[in-house]
Amino acid sequence: MWTWFYKLASPPAVFRTAGRLAPWFLGAAALAIAYGTVDGLAFAPPDYQQGDAFRIVYVHAPSAWLSLFAYVSMALAGGIALVWRIKVGHAVAAAAAPIGASFTVLALVTGSLWGRPMWGTYWAWDPRLTSELILLFLYAGVMSLRGAFEEAARGDRAAALLAVVGVVNVPIIHYSVQWWNSLHQGATVAKIGKPAMAPSMLWPLLAMLLGFMLFYGGVLCMRLRGEVLSRERQAAWVRELMQARSER
Amino acid sequence: MSATFWAMGGYARFVWPCFGLAALVFAWNLWSARRHYAAARLKVERALAMSASEGA
Repeated sequence: MWTWFYKLASPPAVFRTAGRLAPWFLGAAALAIAYGTVDGLAFAPPDYQQGDAFRIVYVHAPSAWLSLFAYVSMALAGGIALVWRIKVGHAVAAAAAPIGASFTVLALVTGSLWGRPMWGTYWAWDPRLTSELILLFLYAGVMSLRGAFEEAARGDRAAALLAVVGVVNVPIIHYSVQWWNSLHQGATVAKIGKPAMAPSMLWPLLAMLLGFMLFYGGVLCMRLRGEVLSRERQAAWVRELMQARSER
Repeated sequence: MSATFWAMGGYARFVWPCFGLAALVFAWNLWSARRHYAAARLKVERALAMSASEGA
């Protein structure tokens, strides 16, 4: 089993697999996001309290979920690289960080634009908002730390360690609305039992969630190819690959 | 499209920037990933050219 795992995680195998998967992920993401956007903006009914402002949920909630998902995947990849010394783990973590950071910014800005008409302010030092902002700082820290060392391997290890330690912030973000008094609304989709949303509003949201996740998969594959190529530029397989491509 | 749709019940100035920004984030991610790959490829090509010139 371990031999199979190591073979699958070998840089050439990852490079090839990521190249094959990226267009499929991105194609499926485009379909899901197109459906979610059209249905969410044009056909879902307005909310009885928030009116049409509730439609911000279709970009805010998926970007917030993705910011957490990308962080967990980055920490997991970093953790695997630290424990089992699988080099590709560091490449995955390095590829995931800027994507996760960009969606954290999106979650914060769209949340702020939603907060203005609903709470009367763009920003409040609320537990959910503050912990999400800390997530952005963690992403920034991980990316800076990776580039802060002359020896790339040391940067990778330090960044992976910070990513793993920072995972503690993920449950804090998720449960902040339950643990403390918060302006932010509680869970709607992930509620145990029945989601607190009408199906006509829920379907486009689920499509957007799926679309954002697929987009993450696609862009991660694209970035990962660049990351693997850059890290393995002295390897024989990269030279062979480039020579084969230049001969074509 | 009707004016009512674009007005978003009076919340247009909050709703549309969110979707616009989301489109920008998607576009930036795609552009950045392509650029990252192109830069990595250039690095490899330079390394190959250097080793070829050293060998000659």
